[in-house]
Amino acid sequence: MRILILGCGPLTTLLLASPDSADHQFTILSGDMDCLDDLADEPRVITLLTPEPLMQDYLQLGGIDNADAFLALSEDEYENILTSQIAKHIFNVGKVVCRLENPQLQQFYTELELEVVNPTLDLLQDLNRALQG
Amino acid sequence: MYILVIGCSEVGYHLTKALLASGHEVVVVEKSPARCDLLTEELGSVALQGDGTDQITLKLAGANRADVVIAATDRDEINLVACQMAKHVFQTGRTMALIKDPKNEPIFQILGVDVVVNSTHLVLESLEERIPGRPLLRLMNLRSSSMELVSITIPEDAGVVGRRLGEVELPPRSFISLVVKSSGVERPSGDLLLDAEDEIIAVTPSGGEQTLYDILTGI
Repeated sequence: MRILILGCGPLTTLLLASPDSADHQFTILSGDMDCLDDLADEPRVITLLTPEPLMQDYLQLGGIDNADAFLALSEDEYENILTSQIAKHIFNVGKVVCRLENPQLQQFYTELELEVVNPTLDLLQDLNRALQG
Repeated sequence: MYILVIGCSEVGYHLTKALLASGHEVVVVEKSPARCDLLTEELGSVALQGDGTDQITLKLAGANRADVVIAATDRDEINLVACQMAKHVFQTGRTMALIKDPKNEPIFQILGVDVVVNSTHLVLESLEERIPGRPLLRLMNLRSSSMELVSITIPEDAGVVGRRLGEVELPPRSFISLVVKSSGVERPSGDLLLDAEDEIIAVTPSGGEQTLYDILTGI
């Protein structure tokens, strides 16, 4: 799969390191030059430094037209919301995932049929499970 | 009318001032306490300090009785979320958003924002109007049809000078709606002779202005 990811942070680097992702091609868009530099040696990863604020041109430079999946994993929730909806409604990307930490935004956009992930909430559930177990 | 303005950027401030002056009831939701103080000092108690994308804040600001919500922060992303909240949670009749990245206009429209004001486009229009030797003006974006109303002035050396309108091959879906000559305004007809300095008012698909421009001004 060709996967376009917005945001370079622990979540992105963990995903790239996971064995499940070995067969995929990634393009990472981020304004964090240091994080992108750390990924520069990965053969199946293309990195693209983006300006602040992100312009839609950069999604196209990152190949959103041909992407099989778009993951908005940046720390900026508003940027994740806008770009996920662009990926879904303008470029008809088959799989779109949006990272949101704010529970209110998470509920609202789930109702608007965005696929939302919330790492903090998932962590909390894991912790509760661990405590019960 | 009760108007809720989200964000007191420079535009938000001047907008609020103008809306108040025309007799509207206005509340501004602004995150920065300093800007809220400034608003209160300058315009009276119109500011509510808080996050314009937060449902509790929006409710406090009376979003459920607002006739219009105008999202005017300096970030396109926040303006989109504020409008989506207003529309879906508070059923606001009319949502308006300010955007900076011209490419964001279609997604705002698809997601139901009623009026999208593209500030980059506005600046470009007004600059183009004043740049000599670049006689292409975008007059209006005909929103629902993705068409653009443009004005193109025919230069002296253009190939179409001295030809009849009917002989000019226009790009698909483009048509001439008016020809402004020095002698007056003419309705377009196939027989109409084109002269240098004629101003052509035309409708063309958004993004296709350059093709029409090249046809009418090419040597």
